[in-house]
Amino acid sequence: MNGIGSVAELEIETNKESFLHLLDGRVKLIILVFIVIYTVYTTQLLILVIMEIYLLFLIYLSHISFKTALKRILLLLPFGGLIIVFQPFVHPGTVIYTLPFGINIYYQGLMFGILLMSRLIVSLTSIVLLSSISPMQEVVQSFRKLGMPKEFAMIFSLMIRFLFMFYDELHRIRHAQKARNFDIFNKKTTYMWRMKQVGYTIMMMFLRAYEHGESVYLSMVSRGFSDKSGLYHDKKRKIGSKEYVFIAAAVCLVIITQLLIILLSLPGI
Amino acid sequence: MHIPDGFIPLWQCAIYYVILIIALYFSLQWARKNLDERTVPLLAVLAAGIFAIMSVNVALPPGISGHMMGGALVAIVFCAPEAAIIIFTLVLLVQGLFFADGGITVLGANVINMGIIGGFAGLYSFKALRKPIGKIPAIFIAGWLSIFLAAIAATLELAWAGTFPLNLGLITMGLYNAIIGILEGFLTVIVILGLEKVRPDLLAWNREKKIVDLKSESNEAKSK
Repeated sequence: MNGIGSVAELEIETNKESFLHLLDGRVKLIILVFIVIYTVYTTQLLILVIMEIYLLFLIYLSHISFKTALKRILLLLPFGGLIIVFQPFVHPGTVIYTLPFGINIYYQGLMFGILLMSRLIVSLTSIVLLSSISPMQEVVQSFRKLGMPKEFAMIFSLMIRFLFMFYDELHRIRHAQKARNFDIFNKKTTYMWRMKQVGYTIMMMFLRAYEHGESVYLSMVSRGFSDKSGLYHDKKRKIGSKEYVFIAAAVCLVIITQLLIILLSLPGI
Repeated sequence: MHIPDGFIPLWQCAIYYVILIIALYFSLQWARKNLDERTVPLLAVLAAGIFAIMSVNVALPPGISGHMMGGALVAIVFCAPEAAIIIFTLVLLVQGLFFADGGITVLGANVINMGIIGGFAGLYSFKALRKPIGKIPAIFIAGWLSIFLAAIAATLELAWAGTFPLNLGLITMGLYNAIIGILEGFLTVIVILGLEKVRPDLLAWNREKKIVDLKSESNEAKSK
């Protein structure tokens, strides 16, 4: 999972200015989720390569650092990577190599592993792009505009606000523990004692954030906050020509890639 | 435990989404009836808290590391698996959309595992075992079961998708999460007992008691 710094770092990325940052939140959300769905749908490696190139081009347009984006993708790969590593050994088919102890590597498994890895990389790139060009509250507001139930949207919006507060609390508690030489991996203390400290840390973090959160929420309610309140509102962002170009480009790309696959599968080509 | 995008075919993802939508419908009905000015921030804080505690990695004796998930914790605090469903939908949505931990197409499957199965298994095992074996062992088993059953469900989903064989999955995922479950159970016990000591009014089973009674109980416990 992500560390304390990553939540704040993400918000810094979303404050940059580019053509993509200025697009309507709903359009960014729908198109990039659509790319993920298309990625999961396809079994053609060529399509996945084209989609990855398109997403890298969008990253270039959004002025996000390639180094940061690639670092994030690489850090996330191990989550699914472990299952992918097993694929050449667990999908029976044509044996292409036999390792010691009679462990076979199968062609079908290898190809399936490559397909899963390609899907994973394209999906991760799409999410890294979305999270780098859309502030969290903008995404919440986009969901609300797209019809998310109001109670759900309110808890979602509050959760995002508390998230930053929670990380601050966690940071403070860890800082205080570090100042007192507490190290969770220090084997000089008993394992049970260390586990108890982790439990108390979680409980204290929860209690402190709840008590702050309760007063913040009651202050908001006393100032007229309700599930109908528009907390994030930017009148400048309306669906206009830029958004239509962005939607058209993505839809055209999908149609072209599908036509390309049909053409390549025709006999004699 | 978080299944990533691309590991489950779209048609199966659609089935999991339908289950999630039905579960969310009933959970929102529960939220409309039960959430007030005190419980709304509690639910939002718990969602943010679950997100944050998943970043606290702890080393386990066999040389592996893991983190708490919190399905049983949420369901027990609210005495309602619906709360776990709402919280895990939000947490996994944020993780999938902003951190690519889990995924968008597999959101339904992941919420079923961690929110629905984790929440139901956690709460009802706690309720069933509380009287016969006592509160602390019941909380521990609830925490352990919520993780273990969620992992078994994820294994079954991956096997149905043709991504990972069932027998190997049950051995690896089952064994790993049976160990992680010990951590989950232990931390769930500490957090719930701690909450009961410091803020008993936050626990759903105490809400009907008067605050004065709770304070005197808490003072008695401290003096002991």
